[in-house]
Amino acid sequence: MMREKVWQDVIAVAQLEPGDVTPVTAGDRELAIYDTLDGIRVSYARCTHGAANLCDGYFDGCHIECPLHQGLFDARTGAALAAPARVGLRMIEARVENGMVQILI
Amino acid sequence: MTQDVRTPITQALNDGVLTRRELKELMRRSDGPAFVWLALWFATVGATGGLVWLTMDSWWLWPAMTLHGIVLVHHFSLQHECIHYTVFRTRWLNDLVGNLCGLVIILPNRFFRYEHCDHHTYTQLHGHDPELIPLPMTLKGYLWYISSIPYWRAKFSELFRHAAGSLNAAERRFTPKEEHRTLILEARLMVLFYLAILGFCFMTGNWSPVWYWWLPVVLGEPFMRAIRMTEHVGRPNVADMTENTRSNLISMPMRFLCWNMNYHAEHHYAASVPFHALPRLHEKLQGYVHVEPRGYLGAHIDIIRQLLGRSPRSDKITSAGE
Repeated sequence: MMREKVWQDVIAVAQLEPGDVTPVTAGDRELAIYDTLDGIRVSYARCTHGAANLCDGYFDGCHIECPLHQGLFDARTGAALAAPARVGLRMIEARVENGMVQILI
Repeated sequence: MTQDVRTPITQALNDGVLTRRELKELMRRSDGPAFVWLALWFATVGATGGLVWLTMDSWWLWPAMTLHGIVLVHHFSLQHECIHYTVFRTRWLNDLVGNLCGLVIILPNRFFRYEHCDHHTYTQLHGHDPELIPLPMTLKGYLWYISSIPYWRAKFSELFRHAAGSLNAAERRFTPKEEHRTLILEARLMVLFYLAILGFCFMTGNWSPVWYWWLPVVLGEPFMRAIRMTEHVGRPNVADMTENTRSNLISMPMRFLCWNMNYHAEHHYAASVPFHALPRLHEKLQGYVHVEPRGYLGAHIDIIRQLLGRSPRSDKITSAGE
């Protein structure tokens, strides 16, 4: 039987890098918290191409660029936008509650 | 699932060499420095091309074409920056300029991008790094590489193989299957482009492309081969980026020509840092990466000493720090 997803706190909003991407570990998951122009978004942190940590990449408020090969993703949707990235990011539903970033997991 | 460190920059951050905030500051993109640099670039190409024109009827033509060629082959450096998307903030401008540079030096841009990705993943690792230049066994082998004959032979056979619709096993490893048709089309367009110019020369009797472009590129390529050797040749074939790459301290004009790519170890540490910020990254990484203070000449002295047996060969080193 599948466990029902619940909202979990991952980091205080005040601890986020403003307008940037912040690395967070939740259990054994490496996550990337993006402070995008459209609000907070969360994805698994590893690039789907070469497994580099996207939190070390260049972020312009909408797009996250892999630090190793400069593949490009839309941090709001997870879509892969430029080679060598082909597979989109795995996004996790996120919200802000009482000053905390929460993920539904 | 948490994985091991995969990128040098993650390693540098973990080692506390620089902070994430410093890194992000260095990664900041801007179109401004690139436009200034490009204006100077066009002026330089125009000036050396002007020298070719001025010397057309004398023996000075050959040194002038060589000088012009040294500038032209440095389109490689600009193209290299473009495939990392670190020249312009506006991403499509990097694609445009990268492709134009590729036309100048016969290097299809998209193929180069895929090949270069694996170079960054497997830097200096035999059998994995598709751009690896082996440490020559002899002085003759060293001079043979610098002659550029093996380079052109490999590049032309690669181009014609792709244009004929075929990629070899190594190329299929670092290019996704879905991209093969694009890469083949890119090679065909490159061949057509050169055939069209050749046709123009025959039809009009105007052979300017030969004197102002093709011959200079051939004459300049040995200098580019020698410069490319300074980046990794003579450094150990190990995964550790503090060991396998060499930065070279060179003069300002040469830094201009190579778009700061002499800071090569810094570039490998953080390939998302734009060319204009590499000198600042160099300051941050001092003592952490391998730097050759004597520049290109010092790097070649190091390489020649190794192949003459005056110092241990780097390709015999099997682990960092050995």
